[in-house]
Amino acid sequence: MNLLTRIATILGFLGHFPAYALAYVIETIVVIIFGTVAVAGMVYLFRKYMARVQIRVGPNRVGKFGILQVMADGLKLFQKESIMPSGRDDLPYKMAPVIVFIGLMMGFIFIPYGQLAWFGNLTVTHSDVSLVILFALIAIMPIGEILSGITSNNKYAMVGALRGVAKDISFEVPMMLSILSVVIMASANVSNPLDINGIVQAQSIPFIILEPLGFVIFFISMMARASFSPFDMGESDSELVTGNTTEYSGLRFGMFYLGLFGTIFLGSMIISSIYLGGYNGPFVGDLGFIWLLVKTLVLVIISLTVWLTMPRARIDKLVTFGWRILLPLSFLQLVVAGFLTLGGIA
Amino acid sequence: MPYEVKEEAGKDGRKIFLIQKENLLELMTDLRKQGYDHLSLITAVDFRDRIELVYHLQKSASNFELLTVRTVTYDSTIDSVTSIWESANWDEREQYDMMGVVFRGHPNLKRILLPEGWVGYPLRKDYDLSKNQYVNMDDEGNDRVSFDPGDGW
Amino acid sequence: MEEQLNSRYVELNMGPQHPSTHGVLRLKLLLDGETVKNVEPIIGYLHRNAEKICELDYYCDSLIYFDRMDYVAAMNMEVGYLEAAEKLLAIEPPERVKWIRVIMAELNRLASHLVWAGAFGLDLGMITPFFYFFEEREKILNLFTEICGSRQETNYMSIGGVYQDFNDKIIFKIKQFLKQFPKKMEEAYSLFIKNDIFISRTKGIGILEPEVALSYGVTGPMLRASGVPYDVRKDAPYLVYDKLNFDIPISRGKDVLARCIVRFEEMRQSVKILNQALDKIPDGPYFNPKAKKSLMIRLRGEGDVYARTESPKGEFGVHLVGDGTVKPYRLHVRSPAFKNLSILPFLARDVLIADMVAISGSIDLVFGEVDR
Repeated sequence: MNLLTRIATILGFLGHFPAYALAYVIETIVVIIFGTVAVAGMVYLFRKYMARVQIRVGPNRVGKFGILQVMADGLKLFQKESIMPSGRDDLPYKMAPVIVFIGLMMGFIFIPYGQLAWFGNLTVTHSDVSLVILFALIAIMPIGEILSGITSNNKYAMVGALRGVAKDISFEVPMMLSILSVVIMASANVSNPLDINGIVQAQSIPFIILEPLGFVIFFISMMARASFSPFDMGESDSELVTGNTTEYSGLRFGMFYLGLFGTIFLGSMIISSIYLGGYNGPFVGDLGFIWLLVKTLVLVIISLTVWLTMPRARIDKLVTFGWRILLPLSFLQLVVAGFLTLGGIA
Repeated sequence: MPYEVKEEAGKDGRKIFLIQKENLLELMTDLRKQGYDHLSLITAVDFRDRIELVYHLQKSASNFELLTVRTVTYDSTIDSVTSIWESANWDEREQYDMMGVVFRGHPNLKRILLPEGWVGYPLRKDYDLSKNQYVNMDDEGNDRVSFDPGDGW
Repeated sequence: MEEQLNSRYVELNMGPQHPSTHGVLRLKLLLDGETVKNVEPIIGYLHRNAEKICELDYYCDSLIYFDRMDYVAAMNMEVGYLEAAEKLLAIEPPERVKWIRVIMAELNRLASHLVWAGAFGLDLGMITPFFYFFEEREKILNLFTEICGSRQETNYMSIGGVYQDFNDKIIFKIKQFLKQFPKKMEEAYSLFIKNDIFISRTKGIGILEPEVALSYGVTGPMLRASGVPYDVRKDAPYLVYDKLNFDIPISRGKDVLARCIVRFEEMRQSVKILNQALDKIPDGPYFNPKAKKSLMIRLRGEGDVYARTESPKGEFGVHLVGDGTVKPYRLHVRSPAFKNLSILPFLARDVLIADMVAISGSIDLVFGEVDR
C-alpha cells in the first residue's frame, strides 16, 4: 500500500481512472509542498544553527522561536518588485530560475522515502532506472545557473557562471564514478541495481562501511554541487557580488535560494539512501521515513558545519583537486568495488 | 658638491636641509644613495606668494631617522622624484590635487582624491570656499563636476 | 562595448559599492579570464578634506576630524595629532596622561586589528570568525563608552590632557577584559591558522620584497611582514613607550599569511603592553593647567613640526605648520593606509581575482583614513 493507492482508495467514489488521475495530481502537489517545507525547515535550521555557532540569537521574532521567519521572508520575496537588467536576453533570463527550481523539485520524486505508519509507502514513483533519471535531473540545475550567468548582461554574473561550470564539471565525473561502484556492489544482491530502491534493499550492511572512500568522494562532490563554502566560488560574495544571481531579485532570486538549500537537502537524502541504508535501520517497523529523515538531518548538519568554518577555496586549486585527486581516487574505488563484489563480500 | 645645502635644526630637533629647487633632484638622488630609502611624506605649504615643499625622508639602516628637505617654488612647478621613490607617485598626485603643484616628469599626474574636472585647488589659501561644486555621474559612469546642482543631489 | 567584445581583455569595475572593498574603494580591473592584468585603484569617495577644515578651526577643535579619519582606531589618530600639536604649542602633558594615552591607544590597536581580522575572514569567505572577533571588539568599545562616553569617535583626549581621569574601577575592568581576551583571541585565531584552505589561500600570495615595500612607502604590519622591523614605538619612542617592555614582531614570509601572523602577534604584544601600563600608571593630574578648557582656544603656535606615531595601519605622521595665530596654518597627514594602498597595483598584477581580494584585504584599508 503506498501513498498513491491510499489517496486513490479515498477518492474511489469517482471511479477507477478519475480517482487515479486525481490522486496523481494530489500527490504531485504533496511532493511540491513537501519539498518546499523541507527546504524552508532547513533554512530555519540553518539560520538557528548558524546563529548558535556565531554567538548570536538568530530569528526569534516571527512566531514561536521565529519559526515563521522563513515564511515571512518568502512572502517578502513574493511581494518584491522584480528588477531586471536592461540588456538581458529575456526568455532564458526568466527561464533560468525555473529550470533550477524544477530540476530540484523533480529530484524529490525519485527518492525512496520508505514507510510511514498509516500512510504506507511514501515513495512517489517507481522506476527500474530511477538512479539514472535522478542524476539526469540534478544535472539540469547547472544549466539554469549558466543561463542566468550569460543572459543577465553582467560581468560578475558571467564570471560566476563560468566558475560554476568549471566546478560542476570537475566534480561530476568523480561523483558518477563513485555511484557506479555502488551500482556494481548492489548488482551482486538485487536484480534492479539502477533503482535507488534496489540499492537501499541491497544494503544489509550500509555501503559506507564497505566503501568509505566512495562515500567521502560522493559527499565532497555533493557539497561542491550544492555550492556553498568552501565551494561557493560561483557566487563568492566578496569577489563577484553574488555571481550568477547578481541581477536577480524578488521571487526569481528566491528560486535560486531555494535551489541552494534544496540541493543540500536533496543531496543529503541521496547520500543517506545509497550509502547509509536509506529507510532501513534498527527497530524500523513501519517508520522507515523517520530513519531517512534522521540520517538526512545528520548529514545536513555536517554540511552546515563545513559551510560555517571553511573559507572559500580558489577555483584553480579546487578544479585541480577534482581532477587530480578525486578522479584517481574514484577509479581506485571502482576497482576496489569490483574486487569486493567478485569476492562475494557485498 | 655642485649644489649648496643649508642645514638647520627644526623646532622639534629634526635635521632640515634647505635646497634650491633646481638642485632638488640631484640632492635627492644623492640622499637615496646615502641610504634614505623611505620617502615618508611630501607636503606642500602655500605661503600665497610661494609654495614650500617639504620632503620627509627616512633611513632604514639607522632606525628610520628622520631627515627633512625643504625647497621653495614660486611658479608652482617642481621636479618629480618618482624616479627615485615609487612612494612619491601618489604623494605628488595628492599635492597636485590639493595644491596645484605641477611635478615635472611625473608619469601619471592627475587628480587623486577629487574627481577630474574640479575647479581650483582646495588647500590653496585663495581657494573660494563659498562656491559649491557638484559631482554627478554621466552616462558613461564617469564623474562630472559642475557648479550647478542640476539633476543630481 | 563593441571594442570590448573584440578585445581579449574585459574591464571590470569593482566598487565603490562592492561587498569586499571595505568601504568605498573602486578598483578598475583589466581581466584576462580570471586573471587580473592591471588594477587601478580609484579613491576619494569619502573625501572630506579634513586638512582644510582643520585650517579653519582652533587647534583644539581639529581633534574630532582625526577621530573620523581612521574611525576604527580613533585613539591612535588622536595620539598622533596631539604629538604634533603639543610639540608646536609647547605644552607638555602630565606623566599620568601619557600612560592613559598609551593604554587607550593600545586598546584601540586591539580593536582595530580585531576589525581587520573579521573583515579579512569575510574576504576569504569565512563568516564565523567575524563574530568571534567582533564580540571582543564590542567589549573594548564598551570600555570606551564607560571611559569617554562614546564608542568609536571618542574625542577623549585634548591638548595637554584627557577628558576624564581613570579611576580604579576602570582599571579593574580593563584588567578583567585582558584576563579573558588572549584565550578568546587564540580560539578564533585557530579557525584561521589551523585551516588548510585558509593557508592555501594566503601562503605565497602577494609577495612583497622589503626593498619594494620601502620604496612604495609601505609601513606598519605590512612592512614588518616583509621583514623590516620598523615600528615608531621602538625606533622613535613617543609617550612612554620607552619605559615599556615589548617586542616588534616581524616575519620573513612576505606574503598575506605573514601579514596575518604579524597582526595577531602584535595583538599579543599589545596585551603585554597593557598589562605593564596598568600596573605602572602613576598618580597625578590628568591635564596640564596651561591648557585648561577656558585657555584652550587661545593657544598659539609658530613654526613647523612633524610627529610620527604608530597607528594600527602603520606610520601615522602629522606635519603641522603654525603662523602664530590660534589656528593651524597648514596641516598635512601622512595616512598609512593611503600609502599602503598605493602598492596594490604592484602586488595584484597577474594574480587571480580571488587572490586580489585576499591581497587587498591584507592591506587593512579604512577609507576614512585613505580619503581623509
